[in-house]
Formats: sequence, C-alpha cells, structure tokens
Amino acid sequence: MSKDRPTILICDDSLLVRKKMKDCLNEYGDFNIIEASSGQTSVELFRQNEPDLVFLDIVMPDKNGIEALQEMREIKKDVKIIMLSSSGTKSHLKAAMEAGASDFIQKPWEKSQIEHILKNVF
Amino acid sequence: MYSQYFGNYLLNNGLIKPEQLTDALEYQRSVHLKLGVIAVNAGYMTPSQVEEIHNMQKRIDKRFGELAIEKGYINEKQLEEMLATQKQGHLMLGQALIDRGHLTIEQLQQALDNYKKEYGMSTRQFNVVRKDDSQEIEQIFQNYGEALLGKMYSDYVTLLMKNLIRFVDDSPTVEINQLKSDITAQWYTSQEIFGKISLHTAIACDREVFVKFAARFAQEEITEPDELAQASVGEFLNLHNGIFLVNMSNNGVELEMHPQQVAENYTLANPGKAYVITCSMTWGRFDVILV
Repeated sequence: MSKDRPTILICDDSLLVRKKMKDCLNEYGDFNIIEASSGQTSVELFRQNEPDLVFLDIVMPDKNGIEALQEMREIKKDVKIIMLSSSGTKSHLKAAMEAGASDFIQKPWEKSQIEHILKNVF
Repeated sequence: MYSQYFGNYLLNNGLIKPEQLTDALEYQRSVHLKLGVIAVNAGYMTPSQVEEIHNMQKRIDKRFGELAIEKGYINEKQLEEMLATQKQGHLMLGQALIDRGHLTIEQLQQALDNYKKEYGMSTRQFNVVRKDDSQEIEQIFQNYGEALLGKMYSDYVTLLMKNLIRFVDDSPTVEINQLKSDITAQWYTSQEIFGKISLHTAIACDREVFVKFAARFAQEEITEPDELAQASVGEFLNLHNGIFLVNMSNNGVELEMHPQQVAENYTLANPGKAYVITCSMTWGRFDVILV
C-alpha cells in the first residue's frame, strides 16, 4: 500500500455505508482507503496503518465507536476523527466530544459535508 | 387503514396505470416542481391561468411568480407560501405525471379535488397529512390500551412514514394492528433499542420485497438478498431508529441501540404485547414489528 497517498479509515458495520463512502471519497481524490466493520477492528487498523483521516460510526459490534475513539486517541492525538452516526443524541454528542472527536456528522450525510472535511484536512 | 396516499389513489381509481406510476416515481427523483402545479393545488389559479402564464413566459423573460402577481392572480404572500411547499411529495408525483405525459394539468386538478373531497380534508389538512397525523396514530395506540407509551409508539410510526417517503417510496399506506401470534418471515431485520425504554424493532418481509427494498434504499442494482442487500435494509432500520433516538433525546429521553441484525427464515415466537405496522408500498408489502 502506497504511503504517498493519504490514508483514510472508514469504520462502519454496514457494507452499504462503507461502499457509499468509498464511492464518494473516490470522486474527490486518490486515497488509500481501509475499511473496518467493528469497533475492535477499527482500533487495530488504526494502530497498524496510522491513517490521516478516520470516519467512525458509533453503533458497531464488539466495541462501540466512542470506546474505539478513546483508544485511538491514546494511540495518536492529532488525527482527524469524524464521528458518523445515525444516532446523534445529546449523550452521544457529549461523549464523542469528550473523547476527542474532531467533528460529528449525522447520517444520512451529504456529499458536500464529506467534500468540506476533505478540503479542511488535505 | 390509516391513510391512503395520492399515488395509490390515482392507481386505485384507474386514473393512471401501474407502469405510469412506476415511471413517474422513477422520474420524480429529478423532478422540478413548477409553481403552476402548486398554484392549482392551492386553488389560487385555474389550469387555464397557468397555461396563460406559461405562454407569456415564452415571450417575456420573467419568472412565473412575477407574472402571476402582475396579472393579479396571486399576491406576494401566496407566492411565498407556494415556494415553501415546493417539496411536497404528492405534488412532486403530480408534476412527474404531467412531465411524463401521463396526466394533463386539468386531469391533475380534477384528481386532487376528488381526492380531497373523498378524504374530507381541506387544502391545509391535505398539505400536512403526511407529516403530521401523529394525533390520529396516537389515538390508535390509545385504543389498544397504550396509555403511557401511546405517544412514543405514535412518534415512532409517524417518523417511520416520513422516512419511508424520504428514502424508499412516495406513497406508503400504513395499517397498525396488535400482533397476536408468532410471526415468521423469510427475511427478518431487527434492532434493539434500550435504556429507560426497551423496544424490539424489526422489518419482516419475503425475499422479493427484501430485495426491492434494498435496491430502492441503496439506489444500487440489487437482485439477490446478498450482503449488500442485507446491509441496505439493515441500514434503513438503523438510520430510522437513529433519528428516532435523536427525537427522543430532544424530548429529554436518552436511549441507546445495538447494531442491527439480519436473519433468514426467522420466527419471532410469543412476542407478548406487540404491534405489527403493515406498510403497503407501490412495489410490495412488509411488516414493521414493535415489541
């Protein structure tokens, strides 16, 4: 895997969400895209690949996104980690921000939101 | 039966053929709702006045609203109101049927008038029927003896209708019944909501509907109940439940949910007190289960 291209980690248990996100990212640039379908795998792939940007779902098997976020922040503090969840409840927002989320996008997301994030990060 | 929507009404009354409805629903995604249709629906202008303005627009480079005001057919307040209603589902369908040549604007006006008459609704009620019939739905749950949870169930079903319209079908019809026996489904997609309130939610359907549902929500070519199909129906339920949790959170009730699950040939045995929301779409029927 080439390291001269930015690496983006997509963490979501839904194959559909990962596919839509990949399609969207590919429209905006040339990225190394890595996918995780559970909280535990998300943390492992984060550790192994040192991504430049992470999209992280909250409701996932094994380990939820908030727990995964906390562990990712212990590994590396300065990576943009965007929470991407259908359940943007008050408690989820609060927990995500306290755990160090860079941003929180409520599903269903718009392409323009992803474009905006990519412009800010790269 | 809770309600009948415009696409079903047109179909049931023989005003359009199933293939015309399918064609219009497909086309509707990209339709631009013209002010003329809104003006006719609101009763502000007649079809001939709309035609007159359309003809004027061929000669004069002005917007429809401007010309209609100049001719004295509508005032500025009415124009503002019309612009605000530009995303209404039944009118989008009407516009699509006109654009595709399945109905004329006169036929649409006639159909809208009869539809409103038959359901005894004023124009205003007609405009909000999809968005805000929560009181009627709540009454159904109250009648089933849900004194405490009637509002929550009604909020869930009202939101379900909105999300079905938003993501998979313009014309859902919903019937609410108590579930009195086991339920078996070829495809059973479920998600547990927990916290102060526990709720088992599920979409139960046969293979054909499962695949159609998946393809519509994903907007992908899906022909088999494969992993992508399962992810699609699962994600609809997850998305809907997530928005429900956000609404509950806004009302001060914090809830959580587990990841969604999909099972083939599943039986929900002895569900206890449960409801089955039968959703009839233009392309098939499925049940939403609430336990």
